Amino acid sequence: MKGLTATCVGAMAILLSTAALADGHLDELGPDGLLPLAQEEGTVVVYSFTSRIGRVEAAFEEAYPGIDLQGFDISSTEQIARLRAEAQAGVTNADVIYISDTPVVLTELLETGIIAPYVPPRVADRVPAEYQSPLLAQRLSTKVLMYNEDAHPDGAPVTNLWQLTTEDWRGRVVMVDPLQRGDYLDLMTEIVLRSDEMAAAYEVHFGQAIGLDGAANAGERFIVDLFANDLILVGSTDDVNVAVGAMGQDNPPVGFTSYSDRRDNADEGWALQVANGVEPAPGIIFPAVLALAAEPQNPAAARLVIDFLMVDETETGGPGLAPFYVAGDYVTRTDIPPHPDAVPLDAFRAWRIAPAKTAPLRAEVGDLILTLQ
Amino acid sequence: MADTAVSRQGRRVFFRQGTVLKVAVLVILIALIVLPLLRTVLFTLHPDTIQAWADVLSGRLSTNLFYKPLGNTLLIGVVVATGCVLLGGFLAWLVVMTDVPFRKTIGVMATLPFMIPSFAAALAWGALFRNDRVGGQVGWLQGMGLDIPDWLAWGMVPTLIVLTLHYFSLAFTIIAAALATVNSDLVEAAQIAGAKGRRILMGIILPVTTPALVAAGSLCFAGAVSNFATPALLGLPVRMQTLSTRLFGMIEVGQVGRGYVIGILLVLISAAFLWAGNRIVSGRRSYATITGKGGRAKRFDLRGARWPLFAIAMVILLASTVVPVAVLTASSLAPSSANLFSDWTLHYWIGQSNPSFAQGIPGIAYNQDIVRALTITLGLGLAVAFTGMFVGLLASYTTARYRAGWMSAAITQISFLPLLVPGIAFGAAYIAYLGAPIGPFPALYGTFALLVIAATAYLLPFSVQTGRAVIQQVGGELEESARITGAGFARRLAAITVPLAIRGLAAGGILIFVKIVRDLSLVVLLFTPTMPVLSVVAYRYASEGFAQFANAITVVILFISIAATLIASRLQTKSQPWLQN
Repeated sequence: MKGLTATCVGAMAILLSTAALADGHLDELGPDGLLPLAQEEGTVVVYSFTSRIGRVEAAFEEAYPGIDLQGFDISSTEQIARLRAEAQAGVTNADVIYISDTPVVLTELLETGIIAPYVPPRVADRVPAEYQSPLLAQRLSTKVLMYNEDAHPDGAPVTNLWQLTTEDWRGRVVMVDPLQRGDYLDLMTEIVLRSDEMAAAYEVHFGQAIGLDGAANAGERFIVDLFANDLILVGSTDDVNVAVGAMGQDNPPVGFTSYSDRRDNADEGWALQVANGVEPAPGIIFPAVLALAAEPQNPAAARLVIDFLMVDETETGGPGLAPFYVAGDYVTRTDIPPHPDAVPLDAFRAWRIAPAKTAPLRAEVGDLILTLQ
Repeated sequence: MADTAVSRQGRRVFFRQGTVLKVAVLVILIALIVLPLLRTVLFTLHPDTIQAWADVLSGRLSTNLFYKPLGNTLLIGVVVATGCVLLGGFLAWLVVMTDVPFRKTIGVMATLPFMIPSFAAALAWGALFRNDRVGGQVGWLQGMGLDIPDWLAWGMVPTLIVLTLHYFSLAFTIIAAALATVNSDLVEAAQIAGAKGRRILMGIILPVTTPALVAAGSLCFAGAVSNFATPALLGLPVRMQTLSTRLFGMIEVGQVGRGYVIGILLVLISAAFLWAGNRIVSGRRSYATITGKGGRAKRFDLRGARWPLFAIAMVILLASTVVPVAVLTASSLAPSSANLFSDWTLHYWIGQSNPSFAQGIPGIAYNQDIVRALTITLGLGLAVAFTGMFVGLLASYTTARYRAGWMSAAITQISFLPLLVPGIAFGAAYIAYLGAPIGPFPALYGTFALLVIAATAYLLPFSVQTGRAVIQQVGGELEESARITGAGFARRLAAITVPLAIRGLAAGGILIFVKIVRDLSLVVLLFTPTMPVLSVVAYRYASEGFAQFANAITVVILFISIAATLIASRLQTKSQPWLQN
């Protein structure tokens, strides 16, 4: 028994050390070089913040038979909590982390060495440098104000965010609880960071300068008023989409959700459309990043997945990118033409978040929201 | 230990008092129950996290973080406990004391709601009463053109109704058992003296059954305050938080310190109430009284009220058993919950992945995640049934055979401790306890072992209780004679106690199996994506808007639970004396 254990430990040590040695040169390999190694590993676990991982799974397994991609749809907030707990426990469940919530990811996961960056060699020259570091951004995602196009064929019923705090929209604004989903907390934080713009928009809408009414700044005042106006909190973006988008509603609410969820309009019977013109901005646009676990159990397959999610030589990025090549998601690769049905990125009025600025304020805004619930 | 090895005589003395056994059991219980709870408390006292106490108890966050959820929690506890005692007491009285028609049917049906997971009832409520507050899909009644107000669709009122309809069967079981033991002489004497039904009820039956009423009320209270699924599913859209949903939310967003503090406070609150209940009941801890009492008083003649009372009972029972099951089944087939009974499709059960349908999620029979979760859940149920009954038997054997001494008292007390701890707080404690490596032992986070260990510990009050009932049925004399002839402890247990008690043990194991298979609150935090269990998968589908999949999975859980429950109740009809004539 003892001998057996010793052999096992020895074998594991050898395996681990070869894996460690191999890791260095794995970074250089393209998909052809990774494939045989990945097939040997046979399986790969992906934590993904979007349910579209289901489609990636099917496409990946078709492209690379013999590798079982296990995709888990886990919200970014929960991924962070889980990855931290797993790291503390010394367990590595995930090989690939596909996540938003970059302000927290950078400080809690990257700086603590729980995850590691990886840029597939063949995209290195096709993604702008700002999206390659500190982590590789696959695309830019959004949380913006959306309305029901079916009920409002002439355009958005809202032109200024401050309208949402008025009687007309009482109980008719939907969003996910910012204490459950980090990207919504980022949205709230960005509103606080943009207090000057919020103050100016207030003046435009109400015709008078903003009184803070006890709030620290215009952004906080907006959040306080929004919650006081019977804001409806739900558990997931799909709940928001159904609430706002379902066709045939006489008086649908508006809500903050992902612009790209418009892609499901036809399938789900929704009429989601972005209120791009709203003052001062319809919401936020933020990177969705790809990373490796610090010590992935399937290092080659993990890299192959990230490669698959980034590229292909076809015009639209191929099957790995296809689920994300939709109106409302902005792919970071420069060689892929923007989606024809979406507002072009430079005309899209959402605020770009600066993760480093958001991070320190986030907890404070979270506490503010806690007092409002 | 050295002494025992040296002298044979010394060793005999040692064993006669059962000291070794007591120490072993005590060590197991401390490792399973005391240490995780202690670990949680210590964590919150760490300099980095001690601030969490102030955040929760005072300061600007405390109102929303603690006091408002506390108010909701207490309201739920008090109303649900009262409602359960009234409903359960009423049904128990009907079944045990009166000549109401179909008494046996009522008796069996009244035990079923507790076996239906409370999140299933909450989902069923949504399928019926959901209104357009959140927009999108509405429930069946709203779909029929009724205008369901917010207070009936979301928040406190539905939570109270759903929980009462869930926990009343617990109260029924306790009260019925107590009523069945009411001394028939008392009642007959009163009848001879010419006392009428009401007088007998108020003058004899109520006073005699007070301990059971209090026990039932406090157990329902403890269950209701720690329930997670129902307030989570029905409360969020109107921002209703209870301590258990707050605890879950805090841990989910990584504010672990605050979460643990809320968990500790939740434990203290339910402990305080159970302690108060126990004080009144003074030592009575039995869920089911097994007695062989003979003569039963003449049943109350309900006369003209027979059928009306039967109708009332059936309304309650149908609402708490048949309706949720029917609604869940229908809504796992109907693409739109507004039209529950039309356009049925089996897609959610056996459909292949189709990108244009439910975001390409295949029916549950073809969904690998769900099949995996089913396997793990069943495995977990079986494993916990075995480990639970093993530890439970060991603990109850020890306390039953070696009653004296502080260690036996400690074993009894500790084994009931988890009853005070809400499942979700227990899960949190176990993450803190075994989530990180302890000395040479590896971390168990995300492993099957962690689920088994935590569930075993969590259900110990039930396994010890069952174990005790079983042990007491097996007379001590048989064992005595075996010991005199020189049989060792393991031999006696294997050759005498276990074979004689096997039916009772199997029934107890099945009940534990059911409890863990339908449990959500304990596993919701222990869950990891690579170690999924059915109830959490269903909860996640429900909270992500895929109600049909959630309902289909829930129907599977229901089917397993009810089948197992019926088997168990066949095995232990003895414990339900009120069903016998």
